[in-house]
Amino acid sequence: MTYILNRLLSVILTLFLITLVTFAVTNILPGDVAMMIMGTQSNPAALEGLRQSLGLNDPLLVQYAHWVGGMVTGEWGNSLIFKKPIAELLLQKAVASGIIVVMSMVIALVLAVPLGVWAAVHRDKWQDTVSSSASLLGVSLPDFFWGIVMILVFARWLGWFPSSGFVEPSVDPLGALQRAFLPSLALGLGLMAHLTRMTRSTMTGILSQEFIRVARAKGLAERTVVWRYALANAIGPVITIAGLQVGYLFGSIIVMESLFGYTGMGWLTYQALLNRDLPLIQDTVFIIAAVVMLTNLVVDLLYVVIDPRIRLG
Amino acid sequence: MKRFLTTKGLIGIVLLGLIALIAIVGPMVIPPDAATAMDMHARRAPPGWAHLFGTDQLGRDMMFRVILGARTSLEIAVTAVVISVVLGLPLGLISGYFGGWIDNVLMRLVDTLLAFPALLLALTISAVLGPNIQNTIIAIGIAFTPFLARIIRGEALRVAQMPYVEAARASGTTDGMIMWRHILPNILPAVIVQGTISLAFAILAEAGLSFLGLGTQPPAASWGLMIQASRDQLDVAPWTAIVPGVAVALTVLGLNMFGDVLRDILDPRAK
Repeated sequence: MTYILNRLLSVILTLFLITLVTFAVTNILPGDVAMMIMGTQSNPAALEGLRQSLGLNDPLLVQYAHWVGGMVTGEWGNSLIFKKPIAELLLQKAVASGIIVVMSMVIALVLAVPLGVWAAVHRDKWQDTVSSSASLLGVSLPDFFWGIVMILVFARWLGWFPSSGFVEPSVDPLGALQRAFLPSLALGLGLMAHLTRMTRSTMTGILSQEFIRVARAKGLAERTVVWRYALANAIGPVITIAGLQVGYLFGSIIVMESLFGYTGMGWLTYQALLNRDLPLIQDTVFIIAAVVMLTNLVVDLLYVVIDPRIRLG
Repeated sequence: MKRFLTTKGLIGIVLLGLIALIAIVGPMVIPPDAATAMDMHARRAPPGWAHLFGTDQLGRDMMFRVILGARTSLEIAVTAVVISVVLGLPLGLISGYFGGWIDNVLMRLVDTLLAFPALLLALTISAVLGPNIQNTIIAIGIAFTPFLARIIRGEALRVAQMPYVEAARASGTTDGMIMWRHILPNILPAVIVQGTISLAFAILAEAGLSFLGLGTQPPAASWGLMIQASRDQLDVAPWTAIVPGVAVALTVLGLNMFGDVLRDILDPRAK
């Protein structure tokens, strides 16, 4: 109970720090926000008007308090470019990005775990070389390059998938999944490389342990030893690493969603940054950091469920 | 030195050496306007004798542009990583050496920064400062600092518990002197390894930023910028994406291979 309470306090403190960092990055850095929005050639009176309406002439502390106070009370402000309440925009885009994040994670795990196990079982043989070369290549290519290749091969040449766009899952569930598939595959391939390396090194460590030798000596089938005994012990660390990659994923969706014209959180963030929509930038950056932080928390707790040997103290 | 001579180490060194050579010597050898000269009769020309790697939508030679891009991309990546080391080193060193509340406060801040995806942080900083080469460097440098600070802190914490540090402290050496003389030299290998790996990520980050138009700006040549320009002509001129894509891949591959081997040699514990 104390553990959960401490953890909760820590979450609140971190959320507060996230608001500080977000605000600092968008406000304290040099640069005139009004000029960024209207351009350097705009007339001084118009600039002054915009500063007034955005509250940019208030002391920084007042601006910060206003922003955080609004977030707490549900007044998230309006987007300057979309002319809509930000909360509504975020909620709608979060569903779209949720599909991509989950799908790419599933693709990465489904490919990485068997590949990593395969490499660990055949350690230092050709299978290991193939697997580690593939992952090295995977981490070396920018994921938007994979995205371009996917568009070229699967959308343009083969025509199996639409090359861009987004439809509401509630309107056309199959179409929504179809449009999410290529960006997820491109993201999943990049993620897969990291996870394969992790699975391989964890499995290698476990396969050299005593209980594996005992299991083999008992005459258990190799398949049972590897997939039931060893993998059961390796999956915890792999899931943890996968969870930590969610942060990386939320960075990558900015590029990938923009490339595919998939209108999720990443695309929204990009539009906000490109058009200097300050209120939207602040809110999306905060939300993404908060989601990443909470995901890491959930992964920590999940670890306990997967591995019963760990007790929280 | 022998341990560099694994297949992986050799490929890494050769790749990096070649790319560094191209980035340094290339811009001196090729005529200054070669990468911006437009050959309007040969727009989107496929690779061939006149243009080895083909030309882009404005008839500019892809080979010259990819060579100039090497210079831009490497300069940005190296400077950005230097910035993140300069910022992260004192942060991690102080945190790991002193421990206690200083460590708590600093690492709480670093953990908070780690909740921001590096690319998002870099994009935001670049957008706020206004996109150009200098701000791209600052943005990537700041975005990578928390990673380095975290790793350096762990190393400093380990070294600070060594008996020789205790002995130095007992003999009245000042904290500053201990950090400078005893801790810094011992964590340097880990910093070098992490720096090499960060370089690979910095190349990818620069490509990502420029690809989104929030990094290097035209008419400068950078790999990310070239891939961005290729987007609308994939069907007719796939080489405009493939040439810079392969350049990025080879560089990052070289850095990753070199980094792996470097880690095995300098930092045998981290396997």
